[in-house]
Amino acid sequence: MNSNQNIKSSLTLADPKLIDDCQLPMNPAIPATQYITNLLNDVSGKQPLIGKGKNNELYIPLGEEEFLKIMPVLSQKGFVLISLFCVQSFEGSSGFTLFYFFRRSGFTEVFAFIRHAKAKTTSIATIFPSACWYEREIRDGFGVEFTDAFDKRRLFLHEAYPEGFHPLLKSFKNGKIQAVENPREAYPFKQVDGEGVYQIPVGPVHAGIIEPGHFRFSVIGEPIFNLEIRLFYKHRGIEKLAEGKTPSACVPIAEAISGDETVANTVAFCTAVEKIAGIEIPARANHLRTILLEMERIYSHMGDLSGMITDIGFPRMTTPFLILRENIFRQNELLTGSRFMKDNIDIGGIKKDISGETLSKLSLYLETFAPKFESAVADVRASSSLIDRFSTTGVLKRDSLLHLILQVPLPERLELLMISGLTTHTESIEPSLRKERSGLQEMSFPALKLRLQKFRTQLSLYENS
Amino acid sequence: MNASFLLFSLLNTSFVLLVSPFFMSLIKKVKAYAQGRKGPRLLQSYFDLRKLMQKEVVYSPNSSWIMRITPYLNLAVLLLATLFVPIVFIPEASGGVGNIIVFLYLLAIERFFTALCGLDAGSTFGGMGSSRLMSLSAVVEPTMIIAFAALAYVLKTVNFHEMFAITAGSTIPESPTLTLISISLFIIIIVETGRLPVDNPATHLELTMINEAMILEQSGKNLALIELAHAVKQTILMAVLINILAPWGLATELTFTGLVVSCLYFLVKASLLAGLIGLFESSLAKMRLFRLPGFYMMAFFFSALTILMEVFT
Repeated sequence: MNSNQNIKSSLTLADPKLIDDCQLPMNPAIPATQYITNLLNDVSGKQPLIGKGKNNELYIPLGEEEFLKIMPVLSQKGFVLISLFCVQSFEGSSGFTLFYFFRRSGFTEVFAFIRHAKAKTTSIATIFPSACWYEREIRDGFGVEFTDAFDKRRLFLHEAYPEGFHPLLKSFKNGKIQAVENPREAYPFKQVDGEGVYQIPVGPVHAGIIEPGHFRFSVIGEPIFNLEIRLFYKHRGIEKLAEGKTPSACVPIAEAISGDETVANTVAFCTAVEKIAGIEIPARANHLRTILLEMERIYSHMGDLSGMITDIGFPRMTTPFLILRENIFRQNELLTGSRFMKDNIDIGGIKKDISGETLSKLSLYLETFAPKFESAVADVRASSSLIDRFSTTGVLKRDSLLHLILQVPLPERLELLMISGLTTHTESIEPSLRKERSGLQEMSFPALKLRLQKFRTQLSLYENS
Repeated sequence: MNASFLLFSLLNTSFVLLVSPFFMSLIKKVKAYAQGRKGPRLLQSYFDLRKLMQKEVVYSPNSSWIMRITPYLNLAVLLLATLFVPIVFIPEASGGVGNIIVFLYLLAIERFFTALCGLDAGSTFGGMGSSRLMSLSAVVEPTMIIAFAALAYVLKTVNFHEMFAITAGSTIPESPTLTLISISLFIIIIVETGRLPVDNPATHLELTMINEAMILEQSGKNLALIELAHAVKQTILMAVLINILAPWGLATELTFTGLVVSCLYFLVKASLLAGLIGLFESSLAKMRLFRLPGFYMMAFFFSALTILMEVFT
């Protein structure tokens, strides 16, 4: 517990007022380029060379000294870190190039700060706690040390991977590895000591999603004192599999990353390629992609809702959602020939057109879907024993939301994805949703219902075109 | 001990052993239908037991003799308890057999060894299950005692055999207060067999388990014995409720037709009760652990109310 406190007190906190949208004009008087130039000028007295990307993003190369000066200022000005990644030998430069992506409410632009690094660099996780995972990911992948990081543990590499194993380096080739039999040090979980405190390890695979997940509970009797979750420790070598291939040969790889996110990952990849190459996709393909994305989102929601209810031990309430999920899978098969909608999205559009007739059928099915879903939700809402389990569970403190840039289910998620061309996990949260919310509200029924309505209207517009 | 009692011991025990797995499957089936699934076959529990019987037993290197004797001991204790609850016919009471206090202690022995066994293998979940079972037992035992005390007070005897002889002799429940006690007995069945909302027998979430957590380390034949013991416990608790609330058909003396009628009536009544348990389980989410004493309090309340009513009428 002590170490936790230390980390918290060492954080440079942003002024919460600045993060709230209501405190800032939505259309600032000055453009983003001007804003950032002024900011850098104030901080370091230098004029940056700002490059503009194809997707409304600003690239701002910074020297090490300017970078270190600007980070705390960004935090105070209400910038949020949405992504951080590393590239080796970027545009012929030696060493590593780190890209820090920020957003700030009031601007539609994404700010990308470029920093050069050698094998050792400094961490920004005390200023932006959400950088912690990214930095650990870069350390594992490239071997770049963040010397003053408060968390230097491995992220996606299990301790059985040998020392000096950095699978994202240019020199690395996918191949067999010799697993370390007895790792020198086990992954250090936070130790909670005291009378009657004991540790319950759950894992190493999460039973619900069959993905790596180790949950270390420190409990005193029934109350859980601390829960530490370790995720991601599965490296599959997908990056190296894609390296050196043509973009279209990478589409099947993007599809295979995760079955539940086939369409989301493929659309994200294709959108990125299209943006870079300047490809305009036909409007119809764009609409069809949106429909497939929506289908994927709906069945994922159904799975999540049934999962939440399964976890509190109420199997009868879960089945309506599971039945709806299965029906969506069957609709997917009618639409695309695949329950998970594989082999449909391609660079430049989609592989097979979906006929207006098929879309009409989908529209007809959705007419029956909505009342069934609503009646299942009404059942859930009417069960007092279920509400008792959810009502005070999983309360998210505003404090953590702000620090960790946690995301909540958003109806706007897809628009964001389409607009920004970024992958889904990098979006920042909408300020209006930054409230303390309980598990039941987290189930996001109104958002889903609203979305369904929008979706149906959209579908009826395009099914005959 | 006379020949009739010996025959009773054989028949009653083997009948309970034979039908117990059926009711486990039946409850699963009812729950599956409530969820819109087809569910397992009604004989699935028998196949499961046969499968487990043929599998090897694996012991944790940390485990002691507790782990080895518990399956046998639990089944033995519960089979002894079946003698206390006549299903095939009511024999002449013999020795201490039928005494409700001994019956309660037999159930306590089973609980005690299950909890020890949970601790024995040294796994994290087993200890958690044992700790939960023991703390909940501290609440449920007084409740059971007061429920059985109410029963004894209404029927003026502490022997199950005599109680059932009284209830079986009348066509309608002896006293309206017996209906109240039945509510308590129903809650005791739910609690003692680890069903929703107390414990979820179908869960795979180790952290939420009570009963399942303690038997996680059991395997093969031993697991089969423990599951059979669990099924036997459910049947005899169901039989207590049935013989109090709906004793029709229970033979009070040994005749061939009496035996057959008793068994058939019991099968029908217990199937209905199992269906009711399945529906009850389907209608509730699992309760928070610290809310469970409130659920037990309902049983306590109805039993205490029964005693009060009997005292003041």
